[in-house]
Amino acid sequence: MDMASTKSRMLRLKVWGDNACFTRPEMKVERVSYDVMTPSAARGVLEAILWKPAIRWQVDRIDVLKPIRWESVRRNEVGSVMSPRTNGLFIEEQRQQRAGLFLRDVAYTIHAWFEMTVPPDERNNVIKFQEMFICRASKGKCFNQPYLGTREFSAGFELIPHDQSLPEPIVETRDLGFMLYDLCHDTSRDEGHVHTCTDGCRPSFFRAALKDGRMMVPARDSEEVRR
Amino acid sequence: MILQALHGLYVRKQDELPPEGFEQKEIPFLIVLNGDGTFGDFQDTRNRSGKKLIARQFRVPKDSGRSGKNAWQSANLLWDHYGYVLCWPKSDSDADKEMARKQHGTFVERVGELAAAYPQDKGVQAVMRFLKSDEREKLLEHPAWEECRKIPGCNLSFRLSDELSLVCESDNVREFVAKSSAQDDDEDDSTTGDVEGICLVTGESATVARLHPRTPIIGAKSNAKIVSFQKNMGFDSYGRQQSYNAPTSKGAAFAYTTALNHLLAKESRQKLLIGSDTMVFWAGEKHRVEDLFADLFGEPAKENLDQTTQAIRSLYTAPQAGTPPLDHDLTPFFVLGLAPNAARIAVRFWHAGTVGETARHIRQHFDDCAVVHGPNQPEYLSLFRLLVSTAMQGKSENIPPNLAGDLMKSILAGTPYPQSLLSAAIRRCRAEREITYPRVSVIKAVLARGTRYYTSNEQEVGMALDVTNTNPGYRLGRLFAVLEKIQEEASPGINATIRDRFYGAASGTPVAAFPHLMKLKNHHLAKLENRGRAVNLEKIVGEIMDGLDDFPTHLSLQDQGRFAVGYYHQRQDFFKKNETTTNVNP
Repeated sequence: MDMASTKSRMLRLKVWGDNACFTRPEMKVERVSYDVMTPSAARGVLEAILWKPAIRWQVDRIDVLKPIRWESVRRNEVGSVMSPRTNGLFIEEQRQQRAGLFLRDVAYTIHAWFEMTVPPDERNNVIKFQEMFICRASKGKCFNQPYLGTREFSAGFELIPHDQSLPEPIVETRDLGFMLYDLCHDTSRDEGHVHTCTDGCRPSFFRAALKDGRMMVPARDSEEVRR
Repeated sequence: MILQALHGLYVRKQDELPPEGFEQKEIPFLIVLNGDGTFGDFQDTRNRSGKKLIARQFRVPKDSGRSGKNAWQSANLLWDHYGYVLCWPKSDSDADKEMARKQHGTFVERVGELAAAYPQDKGVQAVMRFLKSDEREKLLEHPAWEECRKIPGCNLSFRLSDELSLVCESDNVREFVAKSSAQDDDEDDSTTGDVEGICLVTGESATVARLHPRTPIIGAKSNAKIVSFQKNMGFDSYGRQQSYNAPTSKGAAFAYTTALNHLLAKESRQKLLIGSDTMVFWAGEKHRVEDLFADLFGEPAKENLDQTTQAIRSLYTAPQAGTPPLDHDLTPFFVLGLAPNAARIAVRFWHAGTVGETARHIRQHFDDCAVVHGPNQPEYLSLFRLLVSTAMQGKSENIPPNLAGDLMKSILAGTPYPQSLLSAAIRRCRAEREITYPRVSVIKAVLARGTRYYTSNEQEVGMALDVTNTNPGYRLGRLFAVLEKIQEEASPGINATIRDRFYGAASGTPVAAFPHLMKLKNHHLAKLENRGRAVNLEKIVGEIMDGLDDFPTHLSLQDQGRFAVGYYHQRQDFFKKNETTTNVNP
């Protein structure tokens, strides 16, 4: 790979955890998870290990390594957002009991690559970031602990080097319906690197399907992504 | 997938379920018109059901939801009560006559709009001509009119003499309603303006619903919804409030809620209520399993106690010759468990599988639960019976909140039963000292399935007494039953047996109870007058004790379960033996 290339090669990362909740947008109050990790959750994991303004991650495929199992939990949550102007809120007065339908005992292989958002040069190039990612991921370094959908479900991760074979996914084929792909952000109202959401910030969806335990993820500019 | 699957159900049942802007309504009387708008007949649609007359239901444009003093300004399209349709006052007072005149005016105006939009629609034009002419007089002379008059606010609608469906069911009217309801919604949301987005059910770009229709379930408030977001409660994301958080088109929101409400309807055979959870189920296409499922798990109706048994039989064998067995059926099958949570509805569990796989798992469940029982007890126990036997005072509201859902989930998925089920059943056994058929059935099922799933080498409890089972828990359970039997025979009719006093101790910490009980046994045996019987019983004790060196200090939860099953098996065996001994001994 020469220095002028703008795309990395395929990188593979195994992630796992005791629980996961890839919340469906329509059921985020009494949370219900998607059956399989969403592309944006996978992106979050990758970005927790390595992210720079000069790169942009693209998830290509997610392999499901363990049977899809569910767990229903009822727990206390806080039913309020604290306004920046207030002196605080008393959590005991804002308690709500909510149900959640989470995944349990999950493991996935994320296949992903990144592309450069700036023209490559001596300081910013694909090889550098690729090696950085491999180095960091194999040492277990991360900016913040990667998580599976929500912060309370932290994930373990492990790089699968290129000379190593992939773990076998489960044998299951099924339609997953429309799944959240990611959020397209509108940066027009941003000020000083602080993002402010506008009407232009909207979710995008794609038709997800599991084929022999593998979920293919379309590229962000492909027609399969509805936005 | 939940909303998608419900949406699919609506698409499948489109002919049965009302389209957008329509609803099912009872219409007791129909005005039958000839093609030229002249009066044909006045038809009574009511059928006798018991003492009551029940009117037939028709699909009519949605009620305009009028109220207040200006109510006369809104009429329903092509159906309404006789004040609107026939200008018939509810009493002879001048005010009522004036009101009827106003109402009729609105009604005619509404039909006029429709008639102007579809000049070629035969039915609509006939109605228009009828309303303008004085054919009304002929109707008032019809004998059925006297009947109709007696019903306050009796609803009427129109039908053409050569057609079976109502005038308001035609495609033209449907189109008209769809257009005008879209306009109504616009006015509704005028404060916020329409938001376009990708519908997460259909994937199409469409107008997003700000609020979803309600789908109340038992135990929830009447306006409870599956998809709802309160404002300013931490659910607003990316600058979006309420259901704009989860873009669902108005059409899709209508479709999935209509389908869900259809499943939840009062007379629906596709729902089950267990504890506080409501379960609904449906197949990907029309399938007999939809009728079967409620029979499998529901409490059988009083007049048909065999209902569960019949349903299970048809699960084991194809019910009629020529019907393929369910086992290899690949039709998708969905089960949705819902639980009320204040104004919201929480999803307790969600199962998406195939009919064949589900049928196999359900059968496995009934196999696991099977245990010997008295001749008058039902062969198969409903889910409700199993659960309630593990609840305090046998009340369904005492079933732990998550248990029903977890149990259902493990039955459908064929996974091990929840461990909390075992501990709940054992706790009830110890607390009430009643080792009942449903409880043993639960315990046996948890143990048997656990062993199969984790492939341990433990010899598992079977359906009936197994004298070769050497598990100390099982043996001690049997021993306890024999000791109780000895006591019962020594002093017949006593109020409190050793079970009432020692069951908890014997099953939890055998070493603390059994030495004492063995001593008691000797006293009891001495009291027996029939020496032969005493020897026999002693022999059984000896057999059970054979190879059991020490009483263990305590039993694990699993072994306590085996204790209960052993006790129950041995006791059932006594009942059985009584029959055989009377036959064998002359």
